[in-house]
Amino acid sequence: MKVTLLWCTDPTAIRAVLERFQTDVPNEKLKEHIIYMFEIEDVSRVTTHQLIRHRLASYDQESQRFSAASRESFVIPPSIQSKPEAARIYEESLKASSEAFERMVALGVPKEDARYVMPHAIKTKLVMTLSAYSLEHIAELRTAPQAQWEIRELVTQMKRAAIEATPSLWDIGY
Amino acid sequence: MKASIVWSSPNPEKTIAIAMRRCYSTKPLNEIQAELDQKGPEYWKHLIGLAIRDKSLDVIEHFCLEILMEDLTEQDACKLAMSFPFMRFLKISPNTWLVAINARTLLEAHNREDGRQFATAILHALKSSSIGSGFVEVAFGVTTL
Repeated sequence: MKVTLLWCTDPTAIRAVLERFQTDVPNEKLKEHIIYMFEIEDVSRVTTHQLIRHRLASYDQESQRFSAASRESFVIPPSIQSKPEAARIYEESLKASSEAFERMVALGVPKEDARYVMPHAIKTKLVMTLSAYSLEHIAELRTAPQAQWEIRELVTQMKRAAIEATPSLWDIGY
Repeated sequence: MKASIVWSSPNPEKTIAIAMRRCYSTKPLNEIQAELDQKGPEYWKHLIGLAIRDKSLDVIEHFCLEILMEDLTEQDACKLAMSFPFMRFLKISPNTWLVAINARTLLEAHNREDGRQFATAILHALKSSSIGSGFVEVAFGVTTL
């Protein structure tokens, strides 16, 4: 998993305007006006399905309609990795799905249809643009103990990057 | 209504092009960026043109703006906030607002009667500050302003 902050709103530009108008606003209101754009690479489609349930954001994700699926590009959950027999079953299943995909494509089935056989474990990439307000809300839900490990790690990295870029906006650091 | 640009996504045309290439490329980000740098601004504009032609407007949502909007009444600001829920308004003095807006909402506002005056004020601000001029040219046409 790789999270890259591409850019974010410069809070000092907004604060300069507030100063000019001799007004101040709490961070809670300012957070709707601070925007971050992230590149997220090598997370599973399980996690992106969870992520895009948060609708106050803009997403553009690698399309499986046109891109080739690679049989090495899968996320393996630690609970499976740690059990040799489970890991063997998992890998057999992924291999069977990948082979079925490639055989169907070789038979002339369009990738957009052959992909129906691909598992949720497949790695994907996306860009995501959202406000600090949205990120805070997502982090509250998705870094909680009951959230799944992969999205918890993803959102933790996103929030950490946001705090590093705009520390004055966040009351509590990581 | 008078708009001025407080902040904008850096290099908006390239930002949109990155989002667009992300959809159709398996390459990592650094390779997409290198490819876009090599092809240059005319190619970025070409991609924006394709997105608008195909109504794939999600990619232009990544071009974000923070606007200072003056001479906008509370009543009109409320109407705009209700009509365009992805905009965010922050009142900083009577009839003066900070507005967070993305380029898709700007385009959609410009295409609607109830948002055109507001969008036109922002387009004038973009033009006078030369921000996103390639995007404005492709999305709105050079004659719009």
